[in-house]
Amino acid sequence: MMGGYGDVQLLRDDGKRLDGRAIDEMRPVEIKVGVLPAAQGSAWVKQGLNVAVCAVYGPMEAHPRKIQRQDRAVLDVRYNMAPFSTGDRIRPGFNRRAREISKVTAEALESVVLLERFPRSKIRVEIEILAAEAGTRCAGITAASMALADAGIPMRDLVVGIASGKIQDTVVLDLDKAEDNYGQADLPAGICPNTGELVFLQMDGDLSIDEYNLAMEYNYKAAAEIHEIMVAALAARYDGGEA
Amino acid sequence: MAAPVPNLLRQEIERLAADDKRIDGRGRWERRAVDLEVGLLYNAEGSAKVTWGGTVVYAGVKFELRTPWPDRPTQGSLMCGAELRPVAHVKYEPGPPSPESIELGRVVDRGIRESGCIDMESLCIVPGEKVWGVMIDIHVMSDGGNIFDACGLAAIAALRTAIVPAERFDVGEDHVLGVSSTPIMASFTRAGGRFVYDPCEEEELGGDERIHITLGDTEHLHSLQKGLKGAFTPAEFAEILDVARKHCAELRDLVASKEGN
Repeated sequence: MMGGYGDVQLLRDDGKRLDGRAIDEMRPVEIKVGVLPAAQGSAWVKQGLNVAVCAVYGPMEAHPRKIQRQDRAVLDVRYNMAPFSTGDRIRPGFNRRAREISKVTAEALESVVLLERFPRSKIRVEIEILAAEAGTRCAGITAASMALADAGIPMRDLVVGIASGKIQDTVVLDLDKAEDNYGQADLPAGICPNTGELVFLQMDGDLSIDEYNLAMEYNYKAAAEIHEIMVAALAARYDGGEA
Repeated sequence: MAAPVPNLLRQEIERLAADDKRIDGRGRWERRAVDLEVGLLYNAEGSAKVTWGGTVVYAGVKFELRTPWPDRPTQGSLMCGAELRPVAHVKYEPGPPSPESIELGRVVDRGIRESGCIDMESLCIVPGEKVWGVMIDIHVMSDGGNIFDACGLAAIAALRTAIVPAERFDVGEDHVLGVSSTPIMASFTRAGGRFVYDPCEEEELGGDERIHITLGDTEHLHSLQKGLKGAFTPAEFAEILDVARKHCAELRDLVASKEGN
């Protein structure tokens, strides 16, 4: 490992990043829905080299009964990385990181799904990361909101997962793997593109308040771009391709 | 999960079988459309996606450096596992690996291992000290029936297109993993009293015993597995073995067509 934050060259002399992106440029995003025939709703999101696939099942009876809520549905969300999704193989099974991401993802989605429409029921959201290159929780959140939409679950808004961060004292949009490993900060957010609300927020590292504001400005700019891709993906499946 | 109305489904499958028909309209020995993609996942050293009717599976190959077993100091190792995660079907629950997923992984593993397509000696770097461990993980994403054949196909396609990441581990130059043959699985389920090839979801739900056959390049048998309750005759086996030969050869050509891209 490197000695500390910020001592690896991540910006080129021309001001571009190592992969040639501008500081406020996100990685290419591709989205498809209806990719898993066995699921009620499903989505595939490729962001840079990340691949996240999500399946939604339900609403269905919630059991055991103690998890039921009389006035609303419960969301059962799992985020899982495939063993071959990372540089070194990871052992199958739920770890602390996956548990935390599952929890905050569920809470993000609970903020937009009209849960009160389905009392005493459960909606299962299964996020599988097939390839990881930094930013999988964000790709997972985007995929989950798309799979819920594909399943016809009513929602107040979609959710876009996107992160900005800081490398070499410079705020940049959408960190890749090297930037995440050797950068100074990471600010992933879940943004509702229509209402502008935030339903998911994490951060680690070191940001000044001005840097935070700039990073969040980048996140909102990217969320608007990704939202267009999301709407086009839904239109491609349900509206003959006309967004 | 308890299967909904399996008795009605069984009756319908039997009624159709009397006219030699299947619930999805296929002939008895007809296969659903199969699509194979390779090399599509960035962190896996070999990867494949198989779309087989309503079934979708991914396989990924990873390598690790390990110390050889004391009794086999010049041999590397191979491990193949499958996960039936809740993403794949409403019937799968979260939790530790189920007997079904362990059986699936082991049947695929045996077909590949026993075909001898990977020379374990070729995975040796320093005898007694350092060998490659090859790990194939199969991720079932959508269970639309006959996940066994889809998993077997994804696993061998991922292996045959895998690159050994020697540079990353500082033990020489990256090179292709030598895989000398292409073992392929063919699965049959008894539905409506007779065996059918490539069972769909409904046939698995309303059917009886299943038989999995893995054939190598020279049509030698490398793994067999009978699953679920039921009995079959040697004559029935001879009949499905003949069907398996034709389908295995076709799918072997499909794998070959994806190599070297």
